[in-house]
Formats: sequence, C-alpha cells, structure tokens
Amino acid sequence: MRTACFIALTLAAASPCPLLAQQPHLTARDSALHALNRLAYGPRPGEVDRVAGMGVTRWIERQLDPDRIDDQALARREQQFKILELDREELAHRYRDAQRERQRMQRELAESGDTVRQRVPNGPMREFRELGGQLQQLAIVRAAMSERQLREVMVDFWTNHFNVFVNKGADRFLMPSYIEETIRPRALGHFEDLLIATAQSPAMLFYLDNVQSVAAGSRPPGMRRRGAAQPERLPRGINENYARELLELHTLGVDGGYTQQDVVEVARIFTGWSIERPERGADFVFRDWAHDYGDKRALGVTFRGEGKDEGIKLLKLLANNHATMHHVSAKLCIRFVADEPPDGCVDAAVAAWQKTRGDIRAVLRAIFTSPDFWSPHAVRTKVKTPFEFVVSAVRATGADPDDSPRLAQVVARLGQPLYLQPAPTGYAENEAHWVNSGALLARMNAAVALAAGRLPGVTANLDDVTPATRDDNQLVDLVNDRVLGGAMSAHTKRVILEQLSDVDDPMQARALAVGLALGGPDFQRQ
Amino acid sequence: MTISRRVFVKNSALAFVSFGMDPLFLPRAVFSPYRPLPSSTVPYRPVLVCLFQRGAVDGLNMIVPYGEPLYYRERPRIAIPRAEVVDLNGHFGLHPSLAPLKSLWDNKSLAVLHAIGSPDSTRSHFDAQDYMESGTPGRKATGEGWLNRYCSHDQEHADTPFRAVAFGPQLPRILAGSAPSLAIDDLQAFGLRVPQDVARDRLTRAFEELYEGEGTGLLASSSREGFEAIQMLKRADPTQYRPAGDVQYPPGRLGRTLLQIAQLIKSDVGLEIAFADCGGWDTHVNQGSSEGQLSARLRELGQALSAFARDLGDGMRNVVVLTMSEFGRTIRENGNSGTDHGHATAMLVMGGPVNGGHVLGRWPGLDIDTRFEGRDVAVTTDFRDLFGEILARHLGATDLAPVFPGYAPAADRFPGAIRL
Repeated sequence: MRTACFIALTLAAASPCPLLAQQPHLTARDSALHALNRLAYGPRPGEVDRVAGMGVTRWIERQLDPDRIDDQALARREQQFKILELDREELAHRYRDAQRERQRMQRELAESGDTVRQRVPNGPMREFRELGGQLQQLAIVRAAMSERQLREVMVDFWTNHFNVFVNKGADRFLMPSYIEETIRPRALGHFEDLLIATAQSPAMLFYLDNVQSVAAGSRPPGMRRRGAAQPERLPRGINENYARELLELHTLGVDGGYTQQDVVEVARIFTGWSIERPERGADFVFRDWAHDYGDKRALGVTFRGEGKDEGIKLLKLLANNHATMHHVSAKLCIRFVADEPPDGCVDAAVAAWQKTRGDIRAVLRAIFTSPDFWSPHAVRTKVKTPFEFVVSAVRATGADPDDSPRLAQVVARLGQPLYLQPAPTGYAENEAHWVNSGALLARMNAAVALAAGRLPGVTANLDDVTPATRDDNQLVDLVNDRVLGGAMSAHTKRVILEQLSDVDDPMQARALAVGLALGGPDFQRQ
Repeated sequence: MTISRRVFVKNSALAFVSFGMDPLFLPRAVFSPYRPLPSSTVPYRPVLVCLFQRGAVDGLNMIVPYGEPLYYRERPRIAIPRAEVVDLNGHFGLHPSLAPLKSLWDNKSLAVLHAIGSPDSTRSHFDAQDYMESGTPGRKATGEGWLNRYCSHDQEHADTPFRAVAFGPQLPRILAGSAPSLAIDDLQAFGLRVPQDVARDRLTRAFEELYEGEGTGLLASSSREGFEAIQMLKRADPTQYRPAGDVQYPPGRLGRTLLQIAQLIKSDVGLEIAFADCGGWDTHVNQGSSEGQLSARLRELGQALSAFARDLGDGMRNVVVLTMSEFGRTIRENGNSGTDHGHATAMLVMGGPVNGGHVLGRWPGLDIDTRFEGRDVAVTTDFRDLFGEILARHLGATDLAPVFPGYAPAADRFPGAIRL
C-alpha cells in the first residue's frame, strides 16, 4: 500500500497535472485560498476568485516558474530602495564611518559626564541605521507586492534556514549581499548550489566564526611586523561553530548520525575559508596559510589535503546525503503542510529530491501534490508567524506599505524582528513559539490600527475590500469574502454582527468589522 | 527535552476552570474586597528579578579590589582612588556611585559574586549573551532560555499570566521557549490600545468573545491568559501603588522598569520572574574613574536598586534581585582610557533571602600567572552555579538538570548566595 502510494506520488510529482483540487472536502475557492495561504502571503481582495478561475493547479505551476511571471510593479518599487544600489565595499565604508562617529560620540559623552544619552546622531550613524531599516522594509514590500509569491516565501524560508544575525559586527554590512546575491538567485534552484553559496558567503563565514578558524599552529605571513603585543587576539586553532551548525542545522539534522569527531574533522576541512578585509570588499577568500593540509576523515569519507576543494567535496556529499534530504524536506513540510507533518508528504519530497538531485522546485511540487497538503488536518490549521500575519493583513486590505521601516517595526514588536534572530536555528515555525498572550494582544492592536488607518507605515485601502454600507449582513459577508477569503466561522460572524448592531457611522462600522476580522482567530491561521 | 506547549494548554484550561473557585494558589488580593495596604504587602511567593547589564560591565571598577596593588598598576588612569572606594570587607569596595547600596550590604541583604562568568572563552557580546541566556555555554543551537526551561519544568506556579514577565518590547532569549511568559513594554499600556475606557472595554470584550469561539487550542488558551491578565491588571491596578514614603526612582528606563516591577509585586498578581535589560556598559573608550561614563551608569543602577529595595520595604523578604553581564573587561586599561572585552566579571545579589555582607566566590587575584589567557580575570564560579542556586534555594526548583542541560549544578558547587 505504502509502495503503491509512493509510486503514485512520484508519478504525480513528474506530471504537470496532479491530483490536487480533487479533494472532496475542498471547493475550488477553498483550494485557491489554501494555496494562496501557503504558497503566498495570503490573498488580496478578489484573488481567491482569480486563482480559482484560472485553476489552482495552473496557478501553482506558474508560481513554480517565477521568471515567467511579470513583476514590473515590484521592480519599480525596488528602485526606491537605495540599499540595492550599494555594494559590499561601499556598505563596509559606510559602516566604518558610522563606527567612527559612534566612538567619537562616546568619547564626547564621557568627557561631558552626561548621564542621559539622548543625542540623536545625524551623520553616518543615522545613515547606516536607515539602511538597516531599508533592508527589513524591503523584505516586507517584496513579500506584500511581488507577483512571484512562492519565490518570496522560499527566500524567507532559506534566509531563515541559513540564518545570519545582522547585528553581529560585520554582518551589518554583509547581510544585504547575502540576501541579494547568495539566497535570492538560488531560492528555487538546487539545494547543493545554495549550500555551497552560503558556505562561501562572507555573511555566514563571519556569523558562524569560520573566519577565525585556522589550522593549529598556523600564522599569517605578515605576522612578524605586528610584534608580540597582542598575540592572544589572533586565532590559534580551529573554531567548530560553522562545522557544527552546518551538520546540525543546515544539512544532516541533530539526529543525522554524526559525531563530535566529525564536527572537528569538518572544521579542519573548512580552515582557511575566510573573508577579505572590509576595505577590499570583504569577499570570500581561501587562505592557504590557514588551511590544515593533513588528512581528515569525516562522515566515513577520507579527505586528502587538497585545499579548498575538500570543502566543496564535503558540501556536495552533504547536500545529497539521505539525512539531509529528510531533514530539509521535513522542514519544508513543516512550513507548507503542518507543524507536525505526516510522513507521506515528507517521503514524497525526499523521493523527488533523490530523483532530481535536490531540485527545489521538484521537491516543492511533490509537497504541493501530496494528499497531505490538501487534507483537512492541514487546511487552515497553521498559525501565521508575525511576519506572515502582518504581510497577509497588508495584502488582505489592499494596502500599500511605504518605504519607511515602520511596518518592519510592527513585525518586530510582534516578536519577529527581521534578520535579528541571534541563534543560528533561525525563527521557529511552530505555533507554540508565536502564540502567547502578549503577542496575541499585539496582533489585535495591529489589526484594529490597520483597519482604522492608524498603523504607521501603511495605508489600508478599504474601498478595495468593501464599500462602506449600513447593511451589516452585506458588510460582514463582503469582509468574509474579501478579507478572510471565505474562512470566517459562524461564531466570528455572529460576534462581529453583534458588535456592529449599534454602530451608526458606516465608515466606522467597516473599520470595526475589518479590524475584528483581522485580529480575530480566523485570520491568525492559514 | 522540553514539555510541549500542549501540556500547558491543558493545565491552564484546568486552572481556568478553577478560577472562579478562589483556590488557594491564586493571589488573594485579586479576589479580596480589601486590598492589603501597600506597606504591609509581602509577596505570596518568592520573586526573582534579573537585570542584564548588556555590553559587559567592568566588574573590577564596579566591585573594586582596592587591596590589590596590581589593580592600581594596571589602571593608572581609570582606577578608583582608594580613598573614594566604599569599603566592603577591607579588600573589596563599591564604586562610589554605588554608595546607595552600602546600607543593604550592612544589613546583610546584598552579596557580591566576584570572578564569575562563563566556561566558554568567547569575547563576542553576541555569543556570550546568547550563552548566558540559553544557559548552555558553547552550544548555540539551544532553543529556549534557561528561565523559560525553569518555568516549563516547574509548573506548580503555572496559574497566572504574570508568572514570568520581561520588560521591553520583545521576549528576551532568556525567556524564549514553550512556557508562557509576557513581554510588557509598559504596564500602563498593556492591553488593547484605545484611548477611551468605555470603547476599550467594549473592544476587549468583543475580541474576548471572538476567541471564546476557539474552545481549545493554543489560540484559545493564550488569548484567555491575555484577557485574564488585562482583567487582573484592571482589578489589581498596579499603577495605584505609588512608591512608598519618599522613595524616588531615578529618571530613565531602568528606574521606570523597577518601579513597575515593584507595582506588580505589590499588586500580588503572581509574579515569580521579572527580567529587564540595562545597557551602556561597553566602555572601550574613556570609561572614567570615580566620575565619567561608567560612573553615570552605575549611579543610575545603584539609585534604582536602592529605590526598589526601600519601596518594597518588608516585601523584600521574598525577593531576590540578580544582576548579570556576559563577561568582564580587561584588567589593564587600554590606550583609550577604556577597557576591552575580558572574561570574568562581578554580579550583585540582593534581597531578603540573600546571604548578604559577603564577597562570594574564590578570588583568583590579578597576578599574571592566574589570569585567563594572560590578560583577564579568571572565572572561578560558573554562572550556572549561581543561577542554579537561586532557582533551587530561592524559587524552590526541585530539579536543575533539565534547566541547565549537560551541566546540572550541584549543591556542593553553589557559591552560597542564598541563606539556608
């Protein structure tokens, strides 16, 4: 039975006309809403009907081939983001200037004996801080506005899977190129390419300290000049951080069957993988002098001292290791299917991975065509992350986020400041992590503020949702249809109608209905 | 390793059922028609207040080893002159800006832990803070913070939304995890933000009804906790508690936060753990001596802690305040009259249950031979031994193994910060 199912799924994965939308419990609109909730950041007003009309299968296939989707409107918006025009070297310079200004201010502060540090900087510090805000806001604008929704979802997924904490020193200026050059172009490519790209990315090398990892006893060629004043500040041996997280988080998984000795050997393999000095662009560099040229034995394979190629060989090995396929497929299923995904969709994803050597699109297609994806246990059961909540609310109200970082600050207040997860695990995907009383109240506040036009950084366009009307039933039906995509429960409907009963002003009634719908339980789920 | 959040859902649902029956474990003030007078309020349960000095405080200028000639030799420009140190025990003394804490030392409710820190050698703020909050030095992938793990494994008190509260916009790493905890930016603004009372109550009631439709599940239980918290705050009205007598908290965020923590304690809503950040300790440049940058930060800290203790008065009987910082700073001052990232630092433990009037921990001295990597104060007390002792002897944790996985502080390593 299991084998037969497996074959059917594998076939389905290969065929462009899969078995979805034939789930008896889902109407065409239900299927469209579900696909929009998971492959996209929720529907915009009217989008459920559009997707249902074109056929959800066709829409999914289009999303899997994003380069053929026109995205001009977003491209025009992106031109407002100055940070996209600055390369790593330029950002490094600006960061250095900001640091100098900060030190100067600290000195002045100390000399004046000022107790309250309230002075607002307006030079390079401020400018650099604004660039950081742009980086966050850009993620929101793209997620809300792009027509290539699935790609944005996958960029978010991989950025989180290969997490980097932007506030760790040099990562403040390494992060933009990490997003633009490392993650985005490969979000729907092959896992192996993505893995190698992250391993060679300056942002990751710095974040997980591989830049500090040198063969025991090695010394840089230019060391003599520096004297013995601070020899303890120079790296003296291997640093295991990247090696450990590579195995535990990026590839095999914590139960992936590796040992502490494997971690050490992998760390030796990556000795010398470092970055250039910031003033030279902080690019990836392999430092021959720091590399351990001894033989290593990791994961049952012997690596002869060959320099940089050892690392590439290892990454290729890891990318297609069975434990990796399983670990990453399960994570994808947690993102797309359920917090505790059934084996069926994970097995389907692994089979597609095996068949295509990790073609991410094939793996995703296998998940989207798995019956588990469409099952009643999956539909409308996952709680949105704060980022998903805010972006989907913006989309649901036909709103247009501005270029200021204020909406990103809302996401931060809800508990998910972008690129600011210090732990290499990235943010959790399960509801237990996001649902707590303070966070829910904060979501209600954000929902009410958005509907009332009081949420900073965004202007809701409620006329896009529904005309202001004094017919409460009509209003609630339209809010259900346009904002919740038809997912409003009978209970929610009753409570909102009760609340509207003594509100006379139609504009106020509309804002209240939309605010309650967005802040209520139905909209917290996807 | 951790108890799943689902267990909590069940437990808090049970707690909710019994909510109307006024069980003994619920804070009485909420239900009693008579509020106890603020001055006589003694918290029903032990409270731990943690202050994180982010940026790595210079332990040597906070708790000055003025009896060591090397201290003065290594810090010609920034050492605290002997005459200005507030003596503690003939060898160590307080930075003069911490003078308001001297009376707490004298009445045995303030202890100092010196040469405490992490077994991990990192000098990165990011890594070291992460380790101090996860409670697993050297291991970055730990998901939860140790205070949250304590809450998951010690569920006797999991009955109030105010059990663990972090002051600030986000839940800090130390409280991240599956056990419920609140992040409160400002006590007065907690809840739905609608200017008018009537409108706010109405909107609150509307959302409460919306979520009542959920029945079970995390959305249901968490929203219920939130609305309970709002109700409790409304009834207990913590902001009615003005600081006792002539107590004045210093202006600024730290003073405001400690005032609000005191209000929560006095209003008896079941607070067990409070957490707050206070930054500005990364003194690489011109850190100053008796006056200057560090002095200003310490003055605020000393005034705030002293105000907190005086404000709570008898209530300090069940309260322990703990300061922590990710690491200390170099013994030798640097070329910019500041100090760079070091290793061990000092922590303060304050409150009624504290074995006060002692500098605890083994002092390794400042000699070159005993220094960590030849430059920094060596760590002789693993921070987990102190944290573990406070959890066990103050909060009554029965099992520390799951709170500090892979370590499990044992009583024979406790530094002795809590009176037995």
